[in-house]
Amino acid sequence: MGKILIVDDDPDMVLATRLCLEYAGHKVSSARNGEEGVQQIKADRPDLILLDVMMDTPTEGFQLALKLRNPDPGSDLAPFRDIPILIFTAIHATTPLRFESDQDYLPVEGFVDKPLDPRILVEKVNTLLKKGR
Amino acid sequence: MAEAERQTNPLGTLLPSDVATANARMISLRWLAGAAVLLATALGVHLLHLPLPEIPLYLLGALILIYNAVLHGVAARGLSPRSDRLLQRSRQAVIIQVALDWSTMAVFLHLTGGITSPAIPFFLIHMLMVTILLPEVPWYIYVSIATGVLAALALLEAGGILPNYPALPVLPARLHLDPFFILAQVLFFATAASASLLLTASIMTRLRERERQVTALLHSSQAVSSTLSLEEVLSRLAKHAAEAVFTDRASIRLLDETGETLELAAAYGLRQEYQRKGPVELSRSGLDREVLSSGPVLVDQAASDERIQYPREVVEEGISSILAVPIIGRSGPRGVLRVYSTQSKRFGQDDADLLTAIAGEGAVAIENAMAHQSLQQAEQDRAQFVRMVTHELRSPVSGAQSLVRVLLGGMSGELSERQQDVISRVAARLDRLMDLINDLLVLAATKSESFVEQPQPMDLIPAIQRVLDQHSLAAGEKKITLLKDIPPHDIFVRATQDGLAQIFGNLVDNSVKYTPCGGTVKVTARRRSGAAVVSVSDTGMGIPKAEMTRLWEEFFRATNVRRAEIVGTGLGLSIVKRLVESYGGFIGVHSAEGKGTTFIVTLPLYAHTD
Repeated sequence: MGKILIVDDDPDMVLATRLCLEYAGHKVSSARNGEEGVQQIKADRPDLILLDVMMDTPTEGFQLALKLRNPDPGSDLAPFRDIPILIFTAIHATTPLRFESDQDYLPVEGFVDKPLDPRILVEKVNTLLKKGR
Repeated sequence: MAEAERQTNPLGTLLPSDVATANARMISLRWLAGAAVLLATALGVHLLHLPLPEIPLYLLGALILIYNAVLHGVAARGLSPRSDRLLQRSRQAVIIQVALDWSTMAVFLHLTGGITSPAIPFFLIHMLMVTILLPEVPWYIYVSIATGVLAALALLEAGGILPNYPALPVLPARLHLDPFFILAQVLFFATAASASLLLTASIMTRLRERERQVTALLHSSQAVSSTLSLEEVLSRLAKHAAEAVFTDRASIRLLDETGETLELAAAYGLRQEYQRKGPVELSRSGLDREVLSSGPVLVDQAASDERIQYPREVVEEGISSILAVPIIGRSGPRGVLRVYSTQSKRFGQDDADLLTAIAGEGAVAIENAMAHQSLQQAEQDRAQFVRMVTHELRSPVSGAQSLVRVLLGGMSGELSERQQDVISRVAARLDRLMDLINDLLVLAATKSESFVEQPQPMDLIPAIQRVLDQHSLAAGEKKITLLKDIPPHDIFVRATQDGLAQIFGNLVDNSVKYTPCGGTVKVTARRRSGAAVVSVSDTGMGIPKAEMTRLWEEFFRATNVRRAEIVGTGLGLSIVKRLVESYGGFIGVHSAEGKGTTFIVTLPLYAHTD
């Protein structure tokens, strides 16, 4: 029902997520890094973005999120600012860092733990898509 | 200041306690002296029928006993522990005693024949005693005063100013008037006194110096071997070395890996500029070459000694003499210990011997500290390695788990029953693998200091509550009753949020896991005598008694849980124990197989004055 873009450099994660979300009835496209991700966003505006934290660099996912949410009206990603973002992360389990969605600090709508729990992923995606409508 | 003291005490430093002991001994002996005077007088007059002036002698004896009692009373009141005043007061007390004693001695000699008195040797004995107890005063002072007293007595009696009381009737009647006799007695007395006092004084000095050296060596040994920190060992060694030879500057240089350069490892009393003068190279420092090859080296005049590598800096620092000894470890020379003085020709062979002994002890302590350091480094490296490896393992396993779960969810097409079964087993193995990886990462984190968050003061209660909430679902599925008994007030400890979550999470997780359906898990928390005590008890399968000691081992799982095929990594309790201990607490366990288990965690309470 929605167009979902996955930005993740791990092809297995992309496949798992694609199978899961297509089964739930969504349309899924993917990008391998931040740069490709921006291109895809501009070319074919998605309804929701799934971002992996670590790609080419350790915080590539966050940086893309920050770029997307840049409040500067002159930014070339301004028209896409309101697309909901979910971040894939495995950080929860290994370091004491806790990321809570904080408007000022990290402008994303939520987090999804890796490894995937398909039910949880689908639930979160559907909830966000509904909000957007 | 340390140096100055050495100069004014050429016979060795006296401690206040030495003087106090001297005082006490003299007082004890004086009781005997007083009593002996009385007894000897009585025996002399009534048994031997000697013409002694009885009454005056009894009075003298009594006087001795009386002033001794006064001295005893004053000493017993005790002097203040402030050592400088104590030393002064003690010395004054001894001088007073000696003055009193020699006065009564003079009277006693007068009453027993003056220059013909058979008791003159007692005077010598008293002088010897005083020298032994107080070698501070030069021998010639004692000899001069005593000889003077004796000569004065002889002359006063010979001149008729004082009467003469001949004690031994067998002696010639006018012996005390004979100038040759007087001269001979006085000369023999002075000679005998000089010889014996000189000998005694030199023996006593030697003895005290040896005593002091042994004490210095002992203190130094204790100081350097009571720590395993290399920095501490080196700094204490330098300080004690300097103090042992009464100087205020010292340095320690250790050989680097090439064996060609001596790097500064510790400095005491030296200015920064001198410390930074540069590396000491063996090729350019004859002094250190000599020390490392043949032993201690004394430099009497540093400015003109060619063996020094940095003569200009040495002069700027004000250094005149140097004593350098090698620090020899188990496998050979490790470095050089040096002490410095602003006086020239300050150090001697005795100092070299003492410093060599101190350096020997120091070498052992240095090598122990180094071994400890490399052990710690090895542990850190290992923990780092484990962390890197397990981190690398996460990503592929996580990817595999995600795919398998999608497959199991039927999202890639319908699965036959057999396929379901097979894939489920794969999923289960992957889950176990991931649990292990996560636990290993946590365990490695507890072992490596740089990765552990600093403990902060925080309340235990919310952490416990969260853990109970997290497990309510799992407990409910097994119809296990979760009970809690926590006080209404807060309990503050020093810990991290994640640490507390790990500790109580693991314990409650275990309890729920190992308790059969319908059982109970109870968590209680208390404040008890300065500590926070939390107990997690269950009515589960318990721990076999024989395996209790192995409970905290990594990867250990008891036979009963393995037989019951309950999954687990075996790392949970080792993680809990490490965390609890890192917060300054300890953990204990009671268990009875088949009945239940109770874990008790004790953590120090956070006091707001910390």
